[in-house]
Amino acid sequence: MASIETVGLTKNYGGLCAVDGLNIEIKDEIFGLLGPNGSGKTTTVLMLTTLISQTRGSASVCGYDTIKQPDKVRSCLSYVPQDMAIDTNLTGRENMMVFARLYGIENPKDKVDELLGIMELSDRADDLAKTYSGGMRRRLELAEALVHEPDVIFLDEPTLGLDVGARKKIWRHIYSLNRKGMTIFVTTHYMDEAEQFCDRVGIIDHGKIAALGTPSELKSQLMSDVITVSIDGEFFPVSPDGLNGILYVGNSGDEYSFTAENGREALPLIADALKSSGNRVRSMAMREPSLDDVFLQSVGKQEEEQGFEELKYRLMLRRR
Amino acid sequence: MMKGVLTYMHRDFIRWFRYRVGVVSVLVLPAAWLLFVGLALPVQFTGNYLDFITPGILVMTILTAGISSGSLLMFDKLLGFLNKFLAMPVPRESILVSKILFISVRGIIQITIILVLAVLIGATILNPLQYGIIYLILFLFGVFIAAFSTTVAIYLNDHDSFAAFSAMVTMPLFFTSSALMPYDVMPGWLSTIAHVNPLSFAIDAIRDVAAGNLPLLPIVVIVVLSLFVFGICRHVFRKLTV
Repeated sequence: MASIETVGLTKNYGGLCAVDGLNIEIKDEIFGLLGPNGSGKTTTVLMLTTLISQTRGSASVCGYDTIKQPDKVRSCLSYVPQDMAIDTNLTGRENMMVFARLYGIENPKDKVDELLGIMELSDRADDLAKTYSGGMRRRLELAEALVHEPDVIFLDEPTLGLDVGARKKIWRHIYSLNRKGMTIFVTTHYMDEAEQFCDRVGIIDHGKIAALGTPSELKSQLMSDVITVSIDGEFFPVSPDGLNGILYVGNSGDEYSFTAENGREALPLIADALKSSGNRVRSMAMREPSLDDVFLQSVGKQEEEQGFEELKYRLMLRRR
Repeated sequence: MMKGVLTYMHRDFIRWFRYRVGVVSVLVLPAAWLLFVGLALPVQFTGNYLDFITPGILVMTILTAGISSGSLLMFDKLLGFLNKFLAMPVPRESILVSKILFISVRGIIQITIILVLAVLIGATILNPLQYGIIYLILFLFGVFIAAFSTTVAIYLNDHDSFAAFSAMVTMPLFFTSSALMPYDVMPGWLSTIAHVNPLSFAIDAIRDVAAGNLPLLPIVVIVVLSLFVFGICRHVFRKLTV
């Protein structure tokens, strides 16, 4: 049985379609939902965690429908939003006790002690949470999310704003939770983390799944080498003549990426083609494909924040 | 349900106690009103102005306390707590009930301080039954105001708007009520407003109790009002959260 399943899941905010006919099936795995800001990641999580209702379609978590049996769904999941909501004037232990009592755990004290130990917070458990580092706050939130031993955990940007060491630690915990049998649904826009830790990823753009599969499957859709070119000044598109077997992937900033089966042979061809259409090439590099390239290819041109769409912004704010 | 309410209230109480300035402010403010207005204001509408003004200060205290109920919910909403709580199997209404009860209970603590202080500086001592009824009226009125402000907070999206709302409501409501002066010395227009102001309603009921009567009708009306507003609040909350 799938832990999470959506069928044609759709959410409209007024005229804006935030999530558009999402079909995903997630088993006992670490699933990463990737996408640019405003692509519908958080909206998807809010629907799956019963915090908002969909416009169309259906979703189930642990076999329970999110609209028809919301209480059942809520008892088998945990949700950690990206805001880092912990009471800083309470100690770590007191924060945990609130959750243990709310979930109606038997012997809440023992459970809290156990989880604080697992999350390596025992020695700081009785300090006020405002003295905690970012990584400790995140681990405290993870510990809170575990008090009722959920089957599915939703983590919205769990490593946002943390330093490298703290990120590694969080992912190590996420990994071991999954090995104990929990399904982990995580949203992130750190590609390297998704590539390293997620069993499967879905790339979402404008509310639609643009790519879905294991990181290696997705990477194999690209050819074996990726060539990136830095261009000075304006970019003039190249004509595809003479670039047989070379595919344009996309750009981020002034870096333009191509993919080819044999990168060494493709390098001079690309350089010539670029020059002949009037580009000034600053540098070129060749490497193996990463999830970044898959992302670039499926999401397309990464738009810089340009033009503030006020209506869209306000609609997003209203979702809560 | 009850367990959830108690846990949420426990959380709010710890947070309040840890935030010492908050505790002091909540206790000092009504005392300052009582002393400055009750003793210093050079007015002589009635025999014992302190006895006259105390019900007004009591109701005003409950009003400012109750209005801040929405502020509590607003912060939980802005900081992401609300989303966490809503994703739990605890009945969702227990969040609302806990905020309203916490604020009303905290208001009752303030009330006690004012009543003690009032007696210390010369107000007439009432009998226990009268105090009981006064507490009941104030508690019900607190639920009414807290439910009202919580409803507004559910609708608004940022704390600045909420602060503007509460400032806009509190002061005009207080000054157009019968808190400071009896109806017969008010200008005509003010007296008209004061008669329909819900604040005067609670104030008059308390004065009635102090005079030795049992204002059954006002109490029933306040019960109905607070149930009604709480019903609306619950409805709005349910509608906006799934």
